[in-house]
Amino acid sequence: MKERSEFAVVNHSVPRGDGIAKVTGSAVYTSDMAVEHMAWAKVLRSPFARARILSIDISQAKSQPGLIDVLTGGDLKGLSPYYGHGVRDHPLIAIGQVRFVGEPVAAVIAEDELTAQEALGKIVVEYEELDAILDVDTALAQGTPRIHETDFADGAFRGFDDFPGAAGNICQAVHVAWGDVDAAFAVAAHIAEGEFYFPMVYAYAMEPYVAIADYDAKGQLTVYSSAQHPFMVRHDLAQVFGLPLNSVRVIVPYVGGGYGSKSYTKIEPLVAACSWKAGRPVKLQLSVEEAFLTTRGDDARVRIRTAADAKGQLVARQATIHLNTGAYAENSPMVCRKAANRIVGPYRIPNVKIDCFAVYTNTVPASSYRGLGGAQVTFPGESQIDELAEKSGCDSVEFRLKNLAQSRESIHPGMRPIDADLPGDVREAARMLRMDRPLAPGRGRAVCCSASDAGAHPVTLAMVQIYADGSVSVLSGSTEIGQGSHTVLAQIAAEEMGVPLEKVRLVGSDTAVTLFERSTGASRTTTLMGRAVLEACREAIAQCKVMAAEVLGVPAEALVEERGGIRSGETRLTWSEILEKYFQMEGCSIIGRAYLRKAGDLKLVPVFWEIGVVGVEIALDEETGRITLESLVTIGDVGLAINPAMTEGQDLGAATMGLGAGLFEELIYDGQQLMNGTMLEYRVPRFSDLANNVEMKLVQNRDGVGPYGAKGGGEGAVNPISPCIANALHQATGVRMRTLPLTPERVWKALQEKKARAST
Amino acid sequence: MTTLSRFEIHQPASVLEASQMLAQYGDDAGIYAGGTELLLAMKHAALNYRHLIDLKVILGLNSINVRNGSLEIGATSAHRSIERSAIVRQNQPALAEMESQVANVRVRVTGTLGGNLCFAEPHSDPATLLLVLGGTVRAESATGAREIPVAELIAGAYANNFLPGEVLTKITVPCAKPSHRAGYMKFQVHERPTLGLGLWMETPDDGRTFTSARVAVGCVCPFPTRGVEAEKVLTGSRGEVEKRLPEAADLIADAADLVDDHEGSVEYKRHLIHIFLRRVFRKALREPVS
Repeated sequence: MKERSEFAVVNHSVPRGDGIAKVTGSAVYTSDMAVEHMAWAKVLRSPFARARILSIDISQAKSQPGLIDVLTGGDLKGLSPYYGHGVRDHPLIAIGQVRFVGEPVAAVIAEDELTAQEALGKIVVEYEELDAILDVDTALAQGTPRIHETDFADGAFRGFDDFPGAAGNICQAVHVAWGDVDAAFAVAAHIAEGEFYFPMVYAYAMEPYVAIADYDAKGQLTVYSSAQHPFMVRHDLAQVFGLPLNSVRVIVPYVGGGYGSKSYTKIEPLVAACSWKAGRPVKLQLSVEEAFLTTRGDDARVRIRTAADAKGQLVARQATIHLNTGAYAENSPMVCRKAANRIVGPYRIPNVKIDCFAVYTNTVPASSYRGLGGAQVTFPGESQIDELAEKSGCDSVEFRLKNLAQSRESIHPGMRPIDADLPGDVREAARMLRMDRPLAPGRGRAVCCSASDAGAHPVTLAMVQIYADGSVSVLSGSTEIGQGSHTVLAQIAAEEMGVPLEKVRLVGSDTAVTLFERSTGASRTTTLMGRAVLEACREAIAQCKVMAAEVLGVPAEALVEERGGIRSGETRLTWSEILEKYFQMEGCSIIGRAYLRKAGDLKLVPVFWEIGVVGVEIALDEETGRITLESLVTIGDVGLAINPAMTEGQDLGAATMGLGAGLFEELIYDGQQLMNGTMLEYRVPRFSDLANNVEMKLVQNRDGVGPYGAKGGGEGAVNPISPCIANALHQATGVRMRTLPLTPERVWKALQEKKARAST
Repeated sequence: MTTLSRFEIHQPASVLEASQMLAQYGDDAGIYAGGTELLLAMKHAALNYRHLIDLKVILGLNSINVRNGSLEIGATSAHRSIERSAIVRQNQPALAEMESQVANVRVRVTGTLGGNLCFAEPHSDPATLLLVLGGTVRAESATGAREIPVAELIAGAYANNFLPGEVLTKITVPCAKPSHRAGYMKFQVHERPTLGLGLWMETPDDGRTFTSARVAVGCVCPFPTRGVEAEKVLTGSRGEVEKRLPEAADLIADAADLVDDHEGSVEYKRHLIHIFLRRVFRKALREPVS
């Protein structure tokens, strides 16, 4: 393996390839695009959380000048209108009933957006309102009707990813167990027990959902979309319209952020059905407010207990997790699976029993949110680690060090051993935070950590094209969603092919051109697509060597590979020179390819453990209850940072996003109505919320299965932030908070209660 | 939020012409003076004006001057220009400082003081401070002009007391004197403040005694509200006043119609008035607030 000092392009903080285009506004997003003859759609949304649709009268709307067509649930004959990769429960537009306020009931297609909007007001829908089922307890109660009256067909990933399925209003149930928790709790020296709540959140991306669909007369469907997972969208579209995969082309231009909210299929089937009905290309651009009504993160109620023995060794953890999954499954079955795995934490615990349920309610459908269940369960998990440390009379960092999995230690039976240095990471975070310094009044410090089974299912296919003029194209199905993957993949190709970075172009993602990539999620792109690109480059180089041997008339074994080409005695040929001599023609290119699948060193799950280690020092204004961040430290245990500056950017971004649910983010329902689904009322973190001191460190032990020992980052730091703040608050005040976000009023009330208890 | 509905924008050459346009289009017309609140309300279909009358194009309506011991601020002066105005900083520093904290810089460069007061958003920072600084506004129409104290301008949440055809042209604020102390503080978690508190006091002896005071609270209630009863207990020696701050805070809270909402409970808002009355008192005296 190359030493780090030998890298020419990777492990260097080269500028983003798309930086100038994005800063100057010339980068093209789906929102910027138009296609010839394009019409616009607007969506009429349900005002009821649960109701039967008795009739939809579109006659008035039809008379609106400029109107082309109207799509309703009655128009879908000939389609398979239910989609979903876990459970096919989601109609592309409401069919006969609605299940949440905001569900699309009708779509108007018009020559322009304003005309479409004006026509919406002329549609008359008659509903029969039913009792809405708005929370998990109601949904699970005896006698509560089912939100979905029928059992739906499994989507592409049910069974495949080991989802056992469920019944009634339970969308998904996952059970993780080993050892004997009851026996362990019976003899434990210290037990922490409590109920925690992680709020309903919205993964605010600057670009709301947008898609352009063109279902042409030949039955070819082309879709431009701000989708994270174009191949999953292709799968669902092919299924809805009964089309072969080669007739569905999903093209993803630049995407204005996702954070999970754009994973899997969203508005694409609706827009495609509009085009199918109207016989025109159709664009649908949602507003941010409509995006709030499209997907959110699962809120979680976690009943959890954790036990340690007299020596401070963890002996058992038991948890029951209820996720409020909303009206449709979306990706919540996977969130359920991951929450169940991730609540165990990066610790050696001999007895574990986790029961996790994703529960349907008549609220906005929940799906992926950065960290995929990790943030929801790390809050209770890491809070209880501090509680137990205190009960054990042990410093919280020392307590963690005693119980954290060592590198290469197996803590989840059947899973990949830990491929990170967790004790080293935690020790370093504590050192950076200077935990030994005395604390000023109103201040608290804490370090928290998490380990997530990341990478998702490893099926990643890639191609590189090597041109005779020395340029290189990388054809990748990974989406550049702002995380910088196009830059990182170009760095890897430039490193391997020995060409300047400027000579590498990223093509994709475009399902008609780029090969299958399961997803751009689970922090996998550098690890899996990066490795596929590396292997594709190596395969192209192998082809070039055979060509060079023929051109030079020497045995291939006699060639010595040097970066960018080969040497044979005094003769040195670059890859491009070899191609030119071999084909005797200008303008040629060859393709190198790589097909990664769940085999070899990618057979064990997870692909890698994604580590989150953060430390904070908070400052509390005791009079108002407001918490601000004095210091933040992050550790990125990423194996090797292909681009260190961007990797640190991911850590800071994830930690900052985690502040949201920690301090102020929460979607609030009043009855069936979402009350704060606008950017004026939903408070996301701002630059002014950043800590006064930020220190980031990358740990590069090259212990991942990705290129050069790399593994993923970008989601880790989101998970441990909120318990870290809660633990620091406890240190500052003695108050233990089990409900997020830690709003000033909530903290103030807890302080008042503590004072009241102290005075009685 | 939806796409802006169809509307026509009119660009009057004078206040008189603007007033005539208002009279002509009646309830179908609204005044555009920056649009930072107006356009949001229109996008949410909370307001549906077919005609917008653009005051910002009227020359001279954004001037800032001092006349007869008062600041005269043209209605279309942007928050940012008031914040940065040497005249305002010199003659009413509390106003310049408050303006520098309004919303964010994008709002401040576009939004205007006149627009802010007319819109009567319950979370308006300027209205709360102007209540204690003794601000008045000038309303002009085709039939005449009148001066309205800011306290009488606000009719309620999102409601003002202008007569049909009246245009706000000028805000007048008495200049600060050496014997005056004034300050504004807010507590903010969300996009708009949770609490705004303005305090003005007269002290003939550099803060040892206070002969009169005005205090107003905003954001916690449907419209900025003077604490008239509280003002009565905020006079006397500094020691007496400081001792009575909790009593004054309760009187302010009693005077305001505190609202339970996502910004906080009535109980919490009452508590915040206590905390911030003490802080703004110190701030007005140019002392560290906590």
